[in-house]
Amino acid sequence: MTTLEVLDKNIHKNTRIITGRGAEFGENIHLVPVIAQELHKLVLEYPICLIKDNNTGQFGLNALLGFEVGENLFLQGNEWQANYLPLHILRQPFMVGVNAKQGEQPTPDNTVITINTANARVQEDTGEMIFDEKGNITPYMQQMNNLLSTLVNGIINTESFINTLSEHNLIEPIQLTVNLIGSKEKRFDGIYTINEETLKQLSSEALKELNSKGYLQACYLLLASIGHVQKLITLKRQRVSVEVND
Amino acid sequence: MTSNVKNIVIVGGGTAGWITAGTLAASLKKKVSSGYSITLIESARVPIVGVGEGTWPTMRNTLKNMGIKETDFIRQCHVSFKQGAKFCKWVTGKDDDFYYHPLILPQGHNQIDLTPHWLASNSQQSFAQSVCPQEAICELGLAPKHITTAEYLAQANYAYHLDAGSFSEFLKNHCKSQLDVKHIVDDVCQINSLDNGDIASVTTKENGLISGDLFIDCTGFNALLLGKHFKVPFISCEDSLFANQAIAVQVPYKQEDSPIQSHTLSTAQSAGWIWDIGLSTRRGVGSVYSNNHISEDQAHQELLNYLKPTVAEPEKLTFRSIPIKAGHRQRFWEKNCVAIGLSAGFLEPLEASAILLIEISAQMIADQLPTNRFAMDILAKRYNETFTYRWQRIIDFLKLHYTLTKRTDSQFWLDHQNTDTVSERLQEQLELWKYQFPCDNDFEQSLEIFPAASYQYVLYGMGFKTEPNPLGMSAQSIEMAQQHFQKNLMQSNALTSSLTSNRELLNKIQRYGLQTV
Repeated sequence: MTTLEVLDKNIHKNTRIITGRGAEFGENIHLVPVIAQELHKLVLEYPICLIKDNNTGQFGLNALLGFEVGENLFLQGNEWQANYLPLHILRQPFMVGVNAKQGEQPTPDNTVITINTANARVQEDTGEMIFDEKGNITPYMQQMNNLLSTLVNGIINTESFINTLSEHNLIEPIQLTVNLIGSKEKRFDGIYTINEETLKQLSSEALKELNSKGYLQACYLLLASIGHVQKLITLKRQRVSVEVND
Repeated sequence: MTSNVKNIVIVGGGTAGWITAGTLAASLKKKVSSGYSITLIESARVPIVGVGEGTWPTMRNTLKNMGIKETDFIRQCHVSFKQGAKFCKWVTGKDDDFYYHPLILPQGHNQIDLTPHWLASNSQQSFAQSVCPQEAICELGLAPKHITTAEYLAQANYAYHLDAGSFSEFLKNHCKSQLDVKHIVDDVCQINSLDNGDIASVTTKENGLISGDLFIDCTGFNALLLGKHFKVPFISCEDSLFANQAIAVQVPYKQEDSPIQSHTLSTAQSAGWIWDIGLSTRRGVGSVYSNNHISEDQAHQELLNYLKPTVAEPEKLTFRSIPIKAGHRQRFWEKNCVAIGLSAGFLEPLEASAILLIEISAQMIADQLPTNRFAMDILAKRYNETFTYRWQRIIDFLKLHYTLTKRTDSQFWLDHQNTDTVSERLQEQLELWKYQFPCDNDFEQSLEIFPAASYQYVLYGMGFKTEPNPLGMSAQSIEMAQQHFQKNLMQSNALTSSLTSNRELLNKIQRYGLQTV
């Protein structure tokens, strides 16, 4: 559930944020949106793919955390077993509301920070304060501010990255077939990545353009990251065998 | 004289001219290296007829082959999805009388014919509803796909309803900017022949002589080349299909978010029928009737009566009369000239055959384009045989809708049941189908436009009875049929619970577009 409120030093003066990890904070998700700027860190841990939004049909960049809804194979109790966490996970329970016209860049004037008060992190007993006694934001919140600003700009850049991929017909569906011990072969549809052949055959002008924007590197990072599906399968097998042993 | 076919001249724009230009240009671009040209000469003074808003699923491939993005087409031609046709009041004329001719083939059509099983079951469900999910989808006004479905792909087979005027403009821009079609806006005032009777060139008012090796006549009812110049006779079929007049009207939606039907609605009247097509921006409605049976005033009044429940003041709308001359040319390809579109012939839009015929004509020419004048006569002969057969089968199929009626409330419907107005071939088929179920072997499969399934949908939708096989049905086939009926039920439920409304999907496509993968 989501209940968004605009962050306000009076309303939220006693609000505290629990910063730990866990399913209780809504982290038991199998997909998390990511931005192109964090690809070089994500590629060390997660398979990253393009997935269509069910409501708009538009592609979004996502890290794959599990094979079914509600399954985050990186999450073990209150431990997230990876060295890098996607910004979309770290930003919780905050987000930015953008009130800009289409094409306009987000600035402090046309944005507000919102807080999802329905998130279990948000309470008044324990954790990080958002505002100090004087009503100024705490160093913790300053850090969140920076993260949010990176994220908001990143979302816009990621959209134009994906649009460029579409224009050059670089996106192709992949069929993921997962074989788990003791269960039937499972097929996953709706996962897309870069068509490496098409990428190689682009004209030198197109490649130059992609390169100048950092998109070429991003394409290869995406392609390389898909290998981590094998890691997910291993994690899943471990989990399945643990459940069987129990 | 050079005998290589290098320069193709299309006379006439409109839907026929531009579909032909786009199909040929895209095909040549893929197949050959260089040295050819496609020129389209279009008069600024001749208005396009602009009726023919219904298409077949073939249009998806036609557009895709031209390199068109479905999203651009949907946005710019006010397109909506069409999942077949609903025929109302064609059997008894009563309010609850309707059947569907959907675009999805019956379940398991390659393995089993479900018709005898459906008939034997005495099911309360219609034939279409029992064997395919599309009737259920259409009755709920749902779209044939999701916003996440890639362009041109379908959850339920679909065609389009489109705005013919915008469509010509759209194709023109695409042909000129992407496919190197030369566009000349000018009037053809003279046709110049070679000694062998071929057309050498056409003389235009402003641009002088334009010569070519193959000429395509897309001049509409004028049939400037095939009719006026070559004088190829016109074969009327008014003795079988009586409708000879149409009245067309563009109807606004009541509200911005009014539902959009995802099928063509065809409602029988006293001496014809009314088409009702939902585009994304308006409806296209019109009456097709025989003025030998009722007057124009009567037809107009029936159309107003039809519109009244959904339009505030229908009499204030702009109505346009269009004469229909049902029939086709005796030959479509003469010497080095082929007629495509209305110049080849015209039939009432009951099964949206007009644009389909343009597509398959252009496709056949593109596939078999003679490289050399010497090969042309052989191809012309075959082309003529193929298309004569196709026109006859379309006429038969349209006649089927009329001749199976049980209506006796007007002379029009009585006349249609008179076997003298039914072709021998169709009479023979109907006789056969009293005892045998229609199957693809009843047709020259490779040339067929309407598969046996289409005949099944119309025949059993209209209450036709085929005698059960006196030898009974095997337990194995009964078991298999049950599985397919069951599968159909599950598929219908899955689709109707997951698909959004036609309007909602079209709005989303306007806003977000469809992905190409």
